[in-house]
Amino acid sequence: MSASTAEIQAPRVGQFAPDHRGNFIPTWGMIRTRIMELRKRRGLMIALIVVDIGLPVIFLAIRLISHAVSPKSFGPAGGYDIFSNLVAGVMFVFGFIVAATLGCTAGSVDLSEGVFRHLVVTGRSRVALYFARIPAGLAILVPIVLVGFAIVCAVCVIAAPTKLNYDGLTVPSGLSKPALVSWAEEDANAGNVVCAFNYRGPINVPVPCGPNGVVIRKVGPGQAPAGPAPTKAQVSALAGKIAAQDYADYHNNFLSPPFKLIAQSFLWLELETAIGFIVGLGLASLMGQRTVPVVLMIVLEIVLTPLLATNHIPHLINLQRAIVGIATAHVEPNGIPTVFANNHSGGGSGLIPETTLVAYLVIAAWLVGWTALGAWRMSKRDV
Amino acid sequence: MTDVLSAERPTTLSESPWAVETHDLTKRFGGRTAVDGVDLLVPRGCAFGYLGPNGAGKTTLIRVLLGLTHADAGTMKLLGHDVPQHRDVALARVGAIVDEPRFHQHLTGRQNLQILAAAREPAAKERIDAALDRVGILHRANDKVAKYSMGMRQRLGVAACLLGDPELLILDEPMNGLDPAGMVDMREMITSLVAEGRTVVLSSHLLDEIERTCDAVAIVDQGRIIRQGPITELLAGATLEVEIDCDSPERASSLLQHNTLSAQVSVVEESLHVSLPAGTTRDVVGEINRLLVTEGVSVYRLQENHASLEKWFLEVTSRLGDNQ
Repeated sequence: MSASTAEIQAPRVGQFAPDHRGNFIPTWGMIRTRIMELRKRRGLMIALIVVDIGLPVIFLAIRLISHAVSPKSFGPAGGYDIFSNLVAGVMFVFGFIVAATLGCTAGSVDLSEGVFRHLVVTGRSRVALYFARIPAGLAILVPIVLVGFAIVCAVCVIAAPTKLNYDGLTVPSGLSKPALVSWAEEDANAGNVVCAFNYRGPINVPVPCGPNGVVIRKVGPGQAPAGPAPTKAQVSALAGKIAAQDYADYHNNFLSPPFKLIAQSFLWLELETAIGFIVGLGLASLMGQRTVPVVLMIVLEIVLTPLLATNHIPHLINLQRAIVGIATAHVEPNGIPTVFANNHSGGGSGLIPETTLVAYLVIAAWLVGWTALGAWRMSKRDV
Repeated sequence: MTDVLSAERPTTLSESPWAVETHDLTKRFGGRTAVDGVDLLVPRGCAFGYLGPNGAGKTTLIRVLLGLTHADAGTMKLLGHDVPQHRDVALARVGAIVDEPRFHQHLTGRQNLQILAAAREPAAKERIDAALDRVGILHRANDKVAKYSMGMRQRLGVAACLLGDPELLILDEPMNGLDPAGMVDMREMITSLVAEGRTVVLSSHLLDEIERTCDAVAIVDQGRIIRQGPITELLAGATLEVEIDCDSPERASSLLQHNTLSAQVSVVEESLHVSLPAGTTRDVVGEINRLLVTEGVSVYRLQENHASLEKWFLEVTSRLGDNQ
């Protein structure tokens, strides 16, 4: 050990200037080094990238290749449906899980690896040490989600289908309501529209539907299937009526995801990621370990939340509403399938009822509550 | 209110003569008292040994001092600042190793120090290389800590202590894991740190190291400090041992036991071991020699053994009872 050094000199009694290290706000240096500490966990980073970027990329790559090899057997790789299903089915759930895993790691490794006591004896506020982890974790997660999401968006826009398949029927996309009605009333389309489109109401004319000459008569509820074949005018009028009724639904179907939906979906995914990270961070800090909190978070996301999202349990409805996953599902953008509800209507339909305001309050309570719990535990913990 | 608080907040290092000052400090774990009313005074600018058997409460006291756990009773000051009230100001000039130094295994030594420096003042970052150089691991600074030996981690722990340009260093068992050369290096470094005007509190079970390194010592047993002060003064209160080789040990033993020297005499492997009370002067050794020769006992060798810290430690702690 070298006995002499220029930088470390004898203590300067009386020359100490306070640096506010008791303040609860972390410094940029603390955040930066915390990012470095997390980023250098190679296994965790690989898992995070594989799940958030790799899974959608593999899925899209397979679809791209399949479509290129056999376009008639395999549809386009991108498009609105692929986008909405990837966002709601893969990126939402898996994004939460990897964010929670990173949060649990950030909340526990200083303790488990014995570094927290080194940090505490610097005199730095324990709360500041805790708070430094939040921007650090988000600084890692947000770009990864962004990259994964950008790839999904790019493929879904570039490789979108050229024709809209609506209710099993190829329909021109982007039509106005009169244009859709006019298109439906055309003789070539009217029969198909009547047979394929959903319709709520009585159908007074028996229309022959079905392939290969098999005649199935589409009729209204309680009506006999038999009857004279309708005239073209009758079928055309009925098709126009059905198209007009279906327009609101048709209007939400696109060849490729619109920009507004892309922006809303991105913010929604980032919100879910932030929730996963912050709750995981707080829970792991509270428990002082990583494994059990990770398991609990996964159980919450893929077992408890789906179970409680759609099944109305008497007397426990408010408890169900207080589950963050259900609240987050309620604030999802219109236009993508409702998560946890197996419902393609989107916008939180199919879930237990909850107002948007209550959903946002629940989300805020989880973020603030778990942050406070984690910070409190770290400030009081014996190390 | 804010102004009042700001006005009361210390802005310069205190001129208190004590680096560490505790009064009636107590820490309990359930029904067990780990630190029991400790009154400890560590003078500034010295190497101070904190000595006690395993489980005596040494590490617990250090953890309380550093704010790693709370005290149940008593007061304490570090560098003249009340802790925990002004913990941030006090710890700004304190470096410490508690238990074994542990670091993020997946990071290099330098990266670990960067994390710790970021929690200190901005200047701490500039001291990283100097600290690594001082403990002799600058050449391994970019290796992952997972590849470090125990001794290198110990050195990295000391480097972490130096980041804050500390006036007070608290080192808990710093010799653990060091090879003999490393122990010599560590001893020299502690000496050089003290020579620079810093205070080093050294908690160790290696009595010999404490004796070689420290100027003053506190002996702790069962959570209580039972003796403290400069080592030379404390050893002056220890018994004086005299070892005698002679032609008739049994007769010599009988002669010494029947005079007024108040000596405890025993014969071990043909040698006579004489234990004289604390404070006995060297003249008494001459008197013993004179008595034996006068009575016709041939004395071949007479050796005065200075009391070691180890023997004195065993005398004053409960460990003596365990060994008997």
